[in-house]
Amino acid sequence: MGHSVDIVKRGGQRESERFLRDKLHASVVSACLSVRTPAGQAEAIAHAVCDSVIGWLEGKPEVTSHDLRLVAAKHLHTHHPDAAYMYEQYQVTM
Amino acid sequence: MDILTSLLVVAFAALIHASFQLSVSVLTMLSGHAISAKRSHATLLRLTSSFIAGTKVMTLLLVSFFAIVLFDVFGEQPPQIVWATVCGILVGLGVAVWLFYYRREKGTTLWIPRSFAAHLTERSKATKSGAEAFSLGLTSVLSELLFIVGPLLVSALVLISLPSMWQLIGLAIYTVVSTFSSLIVWGLVGSGHSLSRIQKWRETNKHFLQFAAGSGLIILGLYVYVNQIVSVASGSL
Repeated sequence: MGHSVDIVKRGGQRESERFLRDKLHASVVSACLSVRTPAGQAEAIAHAVCDSVIGWLEGKPEVTSHDLRLVAAKHLHTHHPDAAYMYEQYQVTM
Repeated sequence: MDILTSLLVVAFAALIHASFQLSVSVLTMLSGHAISAKRSHATLLRLTSSFIAGTKVMTLLLVSFFAIVLFDVFGEQPPQIVWATVCGILVGLGVAVWLFYYRREKGTTLWIPRSFAAHLTERSKATKSGAEAFSLGLTSVLSELLFIVGPLLVSALVLISLPSMWQLIGLAIYTVVSTFSSLIVWGLVGSGHSLSRIQKWRETNKHFLQFAAGSGLIILGLYVYVNQIVSVASGSL
C-alpha cells in the first residue's frame, strides 16, 4: 500500500489512528484461533484477508473502523464462515 | 408457604436468574480469548472454573445479604406490604425484560451500564490468572443486579421464613440453579465445542430467552401474590 490510511474510531468519539496491517492480521488470527482453527491455517487466512482489505483501502484517505471490520469480516467469511461470525460478534456479545 | 413450596419458589427464581445472559456472555468471551491466545486446555478450564466460582460466590453473598437485611428489618414473618412490593417489582421487571433486556441491534448486546460492559470486555480479553477470572465472575453478577434483583429479593423473603437448616438448603439450591446456564457453556467449551455454535445459538434464541425470563418473572410475581396476599386476605374474611 503506497499511502497511509486513517482509521476513524467509533464515529469520531475516539482519536483516529493509522491503519496497521499487523493489527488487522492479529485480530483475524485471533478470530480464527478462537474457533479452534490450526495456527498455520489461521496465519494463511489472515494474510489473504489483509491483502484483500488493503486492496479495498487503495485510494481512500480515511475509513471508519466499523467499515474496516465489515469488509474484513466479508473477506474472512469466504475463507472461514465460523471465524467471520466470531469476528463480527466481538463488539456485540455483551 | 410450606417447605416444599418455598424451595420450589426459590428454585424457580434461580432458574429465572439463570436465564439472564451476562455471565454467559463474559464466559464466552473469556473462553474465546483464552483459546485464541493458545493457552493450554488446563488453563482454559482453570480460568472458566474460576469465573464460575466467582459468579457462585457473588450470588451466594447477594442472597445472604438480602436475606439478612430483610430478616433484621421485618423478622421471620415480613408484613404483607413487603410481599406485595416484591411482587410488584417482579411484575415490573418482567415487563422491563420483555421490552429492554437486549439492545435493538445485531448480536447479544444487553441493556447493562456500558461502563460495566466495557470493563468486562477489556478484562476478559486480558485475563491470565484464575484470581482475575474469579473477580470477573463477581463483577458480572453485580453488573446484572438491575435485572436479578427481583429473583434475589423473593428468594430472600421466602428463605427467612424457613427453619435454619432449610435456609441453607434453599441458599444452596439458588446458588447452584442460578449458575446452570454458565455451567452448561463451561461444559460445552471444556468438551471442545465450537464457540461460534454456542454464540449462534444464543443469538438465534435471544428473543425466546428474553420472553421466557420476562414471563417467568411475571408468573412468579403473580404466584407469590396469590399465595401470600390473596390467600391470606381471603382466609381472614
